[in-house]
Amino acid sequence: MLTRPQALALVLRRLALLGRELGKPQLEQANEETRLFGEAAALDSIGLVTLMADLEEDVRAACGVSVHLADEKAMSRLTSPFRRVGLLADHLIDVVEKSTPPA
Amino acid sequence: MSTAVITGTSRGLGRALAERLLAEGWSVHGFSRSSGEITHPRFTAHAVDISDEGAVRAAVDQISDPIDLLVNNAGAASLNALLLTPGSIAASLMRVNYLGAFHCLQSIGKVMVRQRRGLVINITTVAVPLSLEGEAAYVASKAALDALTKVAAAELAPQGVRVIGLGFGPLSTDLTRAVPGFKLAELDARLGRPQGTSLAQAVDFIIQHLPAASSASGTIAYLARL
Repeated sequence: MLTRPQALALVLRRLALLGRELGKPQLEQANEETRLFGEAAALDSIGLVTLMADLEEDVRAACGVSVHLADEKAMSRLTSPFRRVGLLADHLIDVVEKSTPPA
Repeated sequence: MSTAVITGTSRGLGRALAERLLAEGWSVHGFSRSSGEITHPRFTAHAVDISDEGAVRAAVDQISDPIDLLVNNAGAASLNALLLTPGSIAASLMRVNYLGAFHCLQSIGKVMVRQRRGLVINITTVAVPLSLEGEAAYVASKAALDALTKVAAAELAPQGVRVIGLGFGPLSTDLTRAVPGFKLAELDARLGRPQGTSLAQAVDFIIQHLPAASSASGTIAYLARL
């Protein structure tokens, strides 16, 4: 189980860490509306992939479930769950609800 | 201590490589459909069909150590003229040789990206650059793997993950058991290896490529004269 504030905190914390690593201080100021990819986005494609990989492990540590953020359903949505920070937080809640703890 | 994941460790090159790394102090996780016969305190056998994405993910989830090396070795072969190759065989080869490696690279690639380091070795074949006749479906599946090697190298390099391909001619394994001896001898002579290539020589070639300085990411190197 992951609440909305917890999910948002996971994303923002990870973005801040990534910002320090990549030398992009603006990532430490991210909020729900921060655009993650596309034109004028905070991350390039490599950064987005890194964020997803790191977040999957963060979710596992926080909730004890193994999740796959880029599943078929997520990739086929008209509005990508990776477009903005808030949408990504919603997506985390969704995948955690549908996941079962690792055997 | 370093940790490796090797696919196809129940026999052949995968098993020989696993035994060599264990002897050199590595911990090894073997992904195979059958359990094989490696018994070593630092060897963990995972019964997994690598063409099953969920099964690969579940197996990777069980590994808690950092993963330094992935060797996508598991492979299948079928020697048939193009016009006589059943579509089911072509699909099966693609599932094991390409899709299986894809699933392992994706799951373990994520682990390596989190670590910001790692090495992936995809085992390929001289049959691709030689466009060997009679192996169309096999060559196509390995060509797909070679393409994956190059794209993965470009995508993962910024996070410190190196991806290379290492290719061999005929090895004395189950994959070549059905090939007539004179055909193998002809190919070995063409590759500048008239004595053939032993499993020990192939393992040595892989070990030589573990240091980062040995080959740039995206490189595909062959133990043969092409």
